[in-house]
Amino acid sequence: MSGYQSKIDRRTALKWISIAMASVTISTQARAKSYIKTPNGYGTDPNLVNPSAPWPRIMSKKQLQLTATLTDIILPAEQAHPAASTVGVPDFINEWVSSPYDQTKKDKAIIMKGLSWVETEAVHCFGQPLELCTNEQKNAFMQTMATESNKPEHKFFVSLKRLTLGGYYTTPAGFKDIGYIGNVPMKTYPGPSAEQVKKLEKSMADLGI
Amino acid sequence: MKQVTPYDVIIVGSGAGGGMSAYVLAKRGLKVLMLEAGRDYKPESETPMFNTNDQAPLRGASTPDKPFGFYDATVDGGWTVPGEPYTNAPGNEEFLWWRPRMLGGRTNHWGRISLRFGEYDFKPYSRDGLGVDWPISYDELAPWYDKTEQLIGVTGKAHGLENTPDSPAGILHEPPTPRLHEIMLQRGFENMGIPVAAMRAAILQKPMNGRQACFYATNCGRGCSIKAMFQTTTVLLPPAVATGNLEIITDAMVYTVDMGRNNKAEGVTYIDRKTGEHKSVTAKVVVLAASAAESARILLNSKNSQFPDGLANSSGTVGKYLMDTVGAGSGGHIPMLEGMGPRNDDGMTNAHIYVPWWGYQQQAKKKLDFPRGYHIEVGGGQRMPSMGIAGIANNSKVSFGKGLREEMRAQYGTSVHFAGRGEMIPNDDCYAELDPSVKDKFGIPVLRFHWKWSEYEIKQAAHMRKTFHQLIDNLGGRVTWGKGTDGKEAIMRGGEIIHEVGCARMGNDPTTSVVNKWGQSWDVDNLFILDGAVLPSNPDKNPTLTIMSLAMRNATYLADQVMKRNL
Repeated sequence: MSGYQSKIDRRTALKWISIAMASVTISTQARAKSYIKTPNGYGTDPNLVNPSAPWPRIMSKKQLQLTATLTDIILPAEQAHPAASTVGVPDFINEWVSSPYDQTKKDKAIIMKGLSWVETEAVHCFGQPLELCTNEQKNAFMQTMATESNKPEHKFFVSLKRLTLGGYYTTPAGFKDIGYIGNVPMKTYPGPSAEQVKKLEKSMADLGI
Repeated sequence: MKQVTPYDVIIVGSGAGGGMSAYVLAKRGLKVLMLEAGRDYKPESETPMFNTNDQAPLRGASTPDKPFGFYDATVDGGWTVPGEPYTNAPGNEEFLWWRPRMLGGRTNHWGRISLRFGEYDFKPYSRDGLGVDWPISYDELAPWYDKTEQLIGVTGKAHGLENTPDSPAGILHEPPTPRLHEIMLQRGFENMGIPVAAMRAAILQKPMNGRQACFYATNCGRGCSIKAMFQTTTVLLPPAVATGNLEIITDAMVYTVDMGRNNKAEGVTYIDRKTGEHKSVTAKVVVLAASAAESARILLNSKNSQFPDGLANSSGTVGKYLMDTVGAGSGGHIPMLEGMGPRNDDGMTNAHIYVPWWGYQQQAKKKLDFPRGYHIEVGGGQRMPSMGIAGIANNSKVSFGKGLREEMRAQYGTSVHFAGRGEMIPNDDCYAELDPSVKDKFGIPVLRFHWKWSEYEIKQAAHMRKTFHQLIDNLGGRVTWGKGTDGKEAIMRGGEIIHEVGCARMGNDPTTSVVNKWGQSWDVDNLFILDGAVLPSNPDKNPTLTIMSLAMRNATYLADQVMKRNL
């Protein structure tokens, strides 16, 4: 199999490195936590029309590859719909776990720990890295993480799945799959189809409302 | 700095109150200077209209830098503004204060819901003995509601509901047809005996004054480059500037009103945020419209030997009777919406329907354990996916891999949510004062908030949740969040609905109010307050339309007085 090709260009990657080297120190002047904004974030007045996520990425190439393998077990390609890695979901997860914001810190800890665990555990189970395993082996491996809710790796599964689905369905390919047909200007608002209304009316009648 | 233009009026702030005041005064031929604390802002070039979440950092998710998500229009603000803190008094409930630093203020990303206060709302004390009456009646403000709605463009229909005034024929724009889940919710509410109304939102449905009609795509909270949504930066400020009578200075943080001779305000002093310079400007009249709490802060910081408790504060009520809106919400999963297939649910961003308060008669008969009403805002549908989309997998029978996509398709658009927005009664425990020690980065004393919900609001929040749960249950659904019915747990924090009003209320009695019924200070007659600070009560009906209608009325009075040389 061919490895995961990051969708990030080299120029952007070099920019992250330069930002990492000019690391910002947190002001000790602030009086209370409640009004500190996040250093190294995109700031409080970012360019909204041409956005960027300027922080350096923390995953190694190997970790990114493993993330791709895992996201594609959650959302493999199906008919017209590309796999999660095809639309760059692993890059997004890397962006997320690398972010300086508080709300991604928990995911960072869970995902990075989970990736290390999977790396070791796959070799332990199958004698080879997960990406080299058969689809049956990969699915069985994921199934264990998904169902054994008392195990620490279940948390990893939950975070990874949330990030994979969120990362995927926010892309144009995801829109096409899930059936989001908005974001197009129109002269008049069409509302639901007559057929959809008819179906709804029947369901409501069945409930007596 | 030598001032070349002799200004008639200085307006502090460019949001709903300041923007409307500037529009009225400049059109009347007065020379106006507007001072805005934030930066210049142009929605036409800065609004990310069709950008999708995958183009934004973290898929557009909320962060401390952009609390309402990456694409939200707010500049340099949110619950905190860097270097410009506020504090909460120890032992109190938390109050949160949302501020932007941009021309147009919060009108650039506001919720656009534009409800008229009703006749009961102007005389609440007379009706149930709580709070205070307004110095004006509904009939006095009604013509100004008409004019404001005509100018900004508001959707809606006449329903003839109690204390929910209709507009005269020909003013309101026909709202778009309801979405699929809204048809269901409307039926569900009506089945419970609760009438549903067409949404009143400040979003054009037909072209007007060089503004395009809504094209039913992209989120209004990003701002609107086609000017269909009302924001002062596209609707009020450009025509005011075009008169040649309005000059706007941005990055100008006003912190005091300066007094001259004969008990007259002489002008204001501001800090140029770019250079740190302190600059004073003068005019015949000063208008504060910096937002309820910020206007109070300026008055309190304007204290001097003659006014040791702050300017315009002989009543001692500056900063007092701070109010927000009572908020509580719930969400549900409705199986009958599963597998309905794609439909365009973008519409005009806002829901196309809302639920006005229906319990006036029950309250008059003392059948409810809380005295004032709330309206319900509804949500749901197949909106543009954000990170929250992953949550619908919780309803899926397939955990991962083959079959999950199909489940996601079937579950997309099956969630609904409800937000109750209710009236808070002003109380002695909710107010703002100057913090005795904390100053902002400019060295200006900051506000310290005191907050405490009363039983009136807590019981109302519990009633909201119970109503939502009942409807979700009637629709065969399951409550997915907002499950508790303990009002203390359900109620959102003070300030969180971003409807903070009060702090310089209007009245007929100079000993209990800060301004008269024209927004004119009792103590300093060439000082006006034309923002939400003057509201003596805060009905459930979101305050912006009323702030603008009052500003239009009172700025007109102000202009008349200048013309008559009374100021």
